[in-house]
Order: sequence, then structure tokens, then C-alpha cells
Amino acid sequence: MASHSKSRWADDEEDAALEAQRKREKELKRKVKAEKQRKLEEQESLRRQNPVDATEDATHDHEAINGAAERPFKRRKLSPEPDTPLKELPPAKLLRFPAPEWGPCRHVDNFEKLNHIEEGSYGWVSRAKETATGGIVALKKLKMDNSNDGFPVTGLREIQTLMASRHTNIVALREVVMGDKLDDVFLVMDFLEHDLKTLQEDMLDAFSPSEIKTLLLQLTSAVDYLHSNWILHRDLKTSNLLMNNRGQLKVADFGMARYYGDPPPKLTQLVVTLWYRAPELLLGAEKYGAEIDLWSVGCIFGELLTKDPLLQGKNEVDQLSKIFELCGIPTEATWPGFKRLPNARSLRLPSISQTTGNVLRAKFPLLTTAGSALLTSLLSPNPAQRPTASEVLAHPYFREDPKPKSTAMFPTFPSKAGQEKRRRLASPSAPKRGDAPRIAGEAADFSGIFANRDTEEVGGGFALKLI
Amino acid sequence: MAPEPEQLSSLSNPLATVDQLSTSSSQLDGVPADLEGSLRFAGAKLTQAAGILLRLPQEIIAQAIVIFYRFYLGSEGGSFRINAVKDVSAASLYMTAKISFLPQSTRSVLNVYAYLLSPTSPLRQPSEGITGKEKPDAESYYLSEGSYHSARATLLQTESILLRSISFITQVTLPHHLALTYLQTLGVLPPSPTTKSSALAARTLAHLNTALFSPQLLYLTHQPPHLAVSAIYLAAREVGVKLPSMEWWEVFDVDRETLGFLVVGLGSCEGWIEGENEKWTEISCPLTLDELEEEIRRRDVENG
Ligand SMILES: Nc1ncnc2c1ncn2[C@@H]1O[C@H](COP(=O)(O)OP(=O)(O)OP(=O)(O)O)[C@@H](O)[C@H]1O
Ligand SMILES: [Mg+2]
Repeated sequence: MASHSKSRWADDEEDAALEAQRKREKELKRKVKAEKQRKLEEQESLRRQNPVDATEDATHDHEAINGAAERPFKRRKLSPEPDTPLKELPPAKLLRFPAPEWGPCRHVDNFEKLNHIEEGSYGWVSRAKETATGGIVALKKLKMDNSNDGFPVTGLREIQTLMASRHTNIVALREVVMGDKLDDVFLVMDFLEHDLKTLQEDMLDAFSPSEIKTLLLQLTSAVDYLHSNWILHRDLKTSNLLMNNRGQLKVADFGMARYYGDPPPKLTQLVVTLWYRAPELLLGAEKYGAEIDLWSVGCIFGELLTKDPLLQGKNEVDQLSKIFELCGIPTEATWPGFKRLPNARSLRLPSISQTTGNVLRAKFPLLTTAGSALLTSLLSPNPAQRPTASEVLAHPYFREDPKPKSTAMFPTFPSKAGQEKRRRLASPSAPKRGDAPRIAGEAADFSGIFANRDTEEVGGGFALKLI
Repeated sequence: MAPEPEQLSSLSNPLATVDQLSTSSSQLDGVPADLEGSLRFAGAKLTQAAGILLRLPQEIIAQAIVIFYRFYLGSEGGSFRINAVKDVSAASLYMTAKISFLPQSTRSVLNVYAYLLSPTSPLRQPSEGITGKEKPDAESYYLSEGSYHSARATLLQTESILLRSISFITQVTLPHHLALTYLQTLGVLPPSPTTKSSALAARTLAHLNTALFSPQLLYLTHQPPHLAVSAIYLAAREVGVKLPSMEWWEVFDVDRETLGFLVVGLGSCEGWIEGENEKWTEISCPLTLDELEEEIRRRDVENG
């Protein structure tokens, strides 16, 4: 067998030597080719100064590029139809499509690690400097699962969706680099000084109403962009929202993101960190859509107002209880069909409808009527009643006083990530693949509801009961 | 309306650079340019056949073929003499299906490839085509537990190599949906289709599918709107549907020069494919490393 057929990773010493030799030869050839190409381009640019026929020219260019000597078809001019006189038309100014390129991944040793920022459930993140440019970036190492399915699909989707997202309020993925092992893969992103969770923990007071509006607008415009590109984020929460010292918010952590369709396909319900997880997911809906992200936006809105996560359930059942307590118990009238959701079947709920607005409004007495209306709509248990991201952007809340603060007027905060690892208070993290299903649909799993209801004295006036 | 710059990513693909098109790793490794063209075509055909047997929709298959092409492109890309056609084809299809709504198990992918590479495979009898209704003789492609495990190791390693070579750019936007939207915009695809409008749509899509096999790698050199517009232009001429007499392609941001080039490129695909199929009637085009070495030796002997 020829040496070529050996794997690139042959550990045999002789093979390695051969491989190295071959590589050197190839490198040389590559250089010769590059030089040739340069000369060709020189000629080309000369030729371009007095172009012949445009159509002819394009065909010609391409053949030169492909270097295909024996083209199996004859080059021929496009024969224009009488009603479309191609040749006589004046050249029009047209939009150019940006053409990103691809090539092999660079090595991570192009970057110098500065300090660890954070250890997440899917990998670690550190601040680093690109040696060649001195540019500061964030490096996120992807965690490989040890399944037998090869490169983890979550990592592939994280890269795919983040790469496809170019928006001022979405963290920019610069490139993907690799380490020495086939499994070492790093995302190179713009570095941002803060994440909203750590920032809030270090602040004495919550953000001001005008700052909250700006943050919420930025978050929502990112979400609107994602949804209009058919991407679900599926893990919106304050620790995944980054902020720089210019008051700009950027959505990060696409570890749960994926493309979705219309009608929605069957997707896993094992998404979104518990405290930000929409009721339809907790109830086991197999089909869900963009609404789950808007629920999370609602949770984040509430959190910004009080500097404290809004719905801190201890487990899935408790999370559902807390949601119903704050937002009201759905009925067939307010949420048609919800009783048929897998985990709802084992719930017995009072049939009287709850008036939800009161509880929410009582919790946020300083919020204006428009603000409460927006929050209440985002936290509608029935996903169909939640506004879309673009509806949120148009909400009167953002037009009434106090107006959203311009990002330039935002205060700057000392960056934790600039120096040391970010300190974190305990909070749940995104569900991992292979986590046990949350609500098994068995009676035993709901016993917690009784326990909670019994000991808590919140006058919610309702109880979740098992059939 | 011209789309906002921010929205462009959903319409555009990464394109090959002039450099990448001018030379390839395989050529540097001594694979003649015409053989390289044949290997690409054979790989695309293999991927298509495997996709059909796995009952994957054309969309996923087309994306896998584009990924397969991306891998072997340019002097920094993969080489046919190092990573076999069959392995890269399998890894492209497996990886593309994995991020789609129809992920496939390593087992079914490898079974299908074992069958397609076996002597009884229709790909090995060039006169026949894949219909998806084959009932192959299981003996000839049965994967023992041992060979399954080593094949899986190769598949997963190739997947990693593939991903690194394409710097994880797995996004492939296809022109098919765009083309249908454009036909509607042009008013030639009424809600209740006529014989002619159906023929136009079918012909347009057929051109786009054939273009996947283009030796000029049109899917790597042109953006989806350009491909869609050119396919419509060509199909309309063939079917005899009159399109607006103004320069309608400019509405879709395609200039005359590009249109001209692509119409020629698309129009020549079928002929090229026929030629390629005729070229490999005696022996089938190499799909494994050994077969490729054999073919290169044979040519060396032939050329003295
Ligand atoms: N581009 C960045 N600039 C600065 N800090 C960042 C950046 N990206 C991530 N971080 C920090 O690292 C933390 C973890 O990043 P990320 O959420 O992407 O990883 P993860 O492992 O998926 O997290 P988790 O599973 O905990 O949600 C963030 O909360 C943030 O504090
Ligand atoms: Mg995170």
C-alpha cells in the first residue's frame, strides 16, 4: 500500500518521517503554485483594464481558474432572447453579497491564555490575547461528550447558529480554532467585560427603569433577529447575556440553539435552565417554538426589575407551581388543549380561572401600566398569548417616560472577568444531554406539590392535585 | 427590495477563493486534474445514492455534497490520496444529517456505504441507477461487528478531520426554495398551477439539482440567488414561458455577466455528466484509497 493511504496520524516513526518529507515537498509545490497564481493575477488585472465582452470574459476567467484543459463542452456565448437584449443593457449597480471564506482551522497556540473566566456546563471560557495582533478575545473550549456519535451535535449547532448570526446584540464568533488533539476545539469570540448575572450580583441597586428598557430592547432585538432567521436560542438567562463597558448587551452561549421550522418539528424538552423554562416545556410539549424564548425574556425582565431571579423553583414540579402562583392557573379557556400535554394529565387543577395580573402587579408595584402589561403578556402561560419579539419591540412601554437610556450614557462597571474568575452564586445550569426526564408523568413525581403547598402560606388560593 | 446587510447570512454561502480553485491538495499529491474531476463527481454520486437509500430528503443530500466538495478544495484542503472518497462522502452525509431534523445512526450510514461499495452495488454496475427500491443481496455487504467498529472509528475520525478542514462552516444555503419564491414573484407560478407552470418549476429545480454535479463547482462559486435566477432563466427558455421583458434578474441582485456565465455553466452540466458516466463503463471510478492508487499506477503505465 502506498504511503499516501496511511492515516495522517500514523504514529509509526518511519511513517512520520515519510509524512514530514511529503509535507515539505507539498509545501514547496504550494509556494510555486502561489507564485504562478500571483503572476496570473497580475496579467489578469492588466487584461481587466481593457475588457473585451463581459459575458465572454466571465467564462474565460473561470476556465483559467479551474485550469481544466479538456473542457468537455464548447464555450459558447449566451444567445439572448429577442425580448431580453442582454448585451445592450447598461450595467446596473447591484448589491454584492459578502462572501465569507473557509480554510483549515488555525491552531489555538495563536492565542495566549490570560485568565480563566468561567467554567460552564459545556466547557470553560478564558480571556486570551491573539499573539499576532494583540487583540483580546474570549476563548471557549467545547466540551466533548463521550457518546459514540462523534462530534457532539450541540457543539456543531452552537457553531452553526452563532456563525450564522451577525447582529450588534449577539456576540461575534470570530473563528473556530483547534488544539493538538482532534477533540480540542475552541470558539474565538469578541471579549466582553461582563455578564449580566455577575454584574447584577455586584451591584448595590437594580438597573434604573431607563437602563432596563435599553437592556430589554437590545435583548429583544437579538431575539427578533434569531427568530426571523429560524433560530431558537433555548437558553436565555442573565448569565448568557454579556455586556461591555459601552452599555451594549450581547446574547451569548448558543450551546442549546438550533434551527427550527414551521410547523415546529418534534424537539427535545430538555432545554432552557429551569428558572427560565417555559410552562409548555415543563408540561412536556413535544412541539414548541419561538415562544419559549419570549418566556425567558419575561423572566429576565422580572429579574432586571428586582435584581433577583424571578421564578426560582427547586425542581420541575416546584417551578411549575411557582409559575402558576405568579401567572395564574391555566384553564381550557385561557389555554385550550393544555390539559392534553403529557405532564398536565396527571395534574388536577381548580376549575376557577385565576386573575393573574393582580399577583404580578403586586410584585412590581413601581412598574407602569404599560410595563406590567408587557411583563404579564410575556409571562402568559399559554404560549399563543405571548407577544413575538417584534411585537415586544413595538410595545408602548418603550415609548413612555422614562425613555430608554442611550448606551453611551451607561455607567461603566469594574470588570471581574478582566482580572479573575467570575464569582458565582449557586444557580441551576442548562440541562445536559442524558439528564433524567424532569417530570416522568408518574404520580410520585408530583408529591412535591402537596408538600410545598402544605408548608407555604402564600395565599395563592389554588392547589395542584394529583388524580 | 434589497435585504438588509444583517439578514444576508441566510441567503449567502461561503465561497471558494480564486486560490482554492486554482490548485488543490490532491493535485499537489499527483492526482491529475481530470481524474480529480472524476473523483469529485463519483463522490457526489456516492453521496446522492447513500442519501436516497437512507431516505434522506434532497435538501440534506445536496448540503452533504457541497460539504464534500468543500473538504477537497484548495492546497490547504483534503487530498483524495489521503482521505478516501468513500470516507469523506460518508462523513459529510453523517454530519449533515446529524445537525438536521433527520439524524442517522452510524450503523445505518455504514451499512448503506458497505452496500454501495460492495461488488453487487448498482454504483459498481454503472449502467444502472439507484432507485431506492433495491433489495440487495445482504451477504455481499454484511458488516460484521468487528468491521463495523473499525468502520465507525474511521467515520468519526474523518468527521473530525472534515470539520477542521472546513473550519466548522457547516452552513449550506440551497437555492431551491429561493427559486420557487422568485418564480412566484415573477408571477409565473400561480396558486393553481398550469401544465406549463408546473413544467417550469420542475425544470428549474432539475437544473439546480444537476448543477450540484457541475465540474465548475457552481455551488462553491456562486451565491444561491445567482443559481436560482440562472436556473429560472434557462428553464423558462426551454419550457417556453415568457418572463418580463425588463432585466428582471436585477431585482434579485444578479448582474448580466453572472447570469450569462451561469446559464452556460448550468446548460453544460448534463452533457458533462453523460461524458463522465461513459468514461467509467469498463472500470468503476475509484472510491477507496487502494482503488485510486491502482488507477494512478494504471495511468503511469499507460503513459510510459
Ligand atoms: N465572549 C465572552 N466574553 C466574556 N465572557 C464570556 C464570553 N463568553 C462567555 N463568557 C463568560 O463565560 C460564561 C460561560 O460561557 P457560556 O455561557 O458560553 O458557556 P457554557 O459552558 O455554555 O455555560 P452554561 O452551560 O453555564 O450556560 C458566561 O456566563 C460569561 O461569564
Ligand atoms: Mg452559559
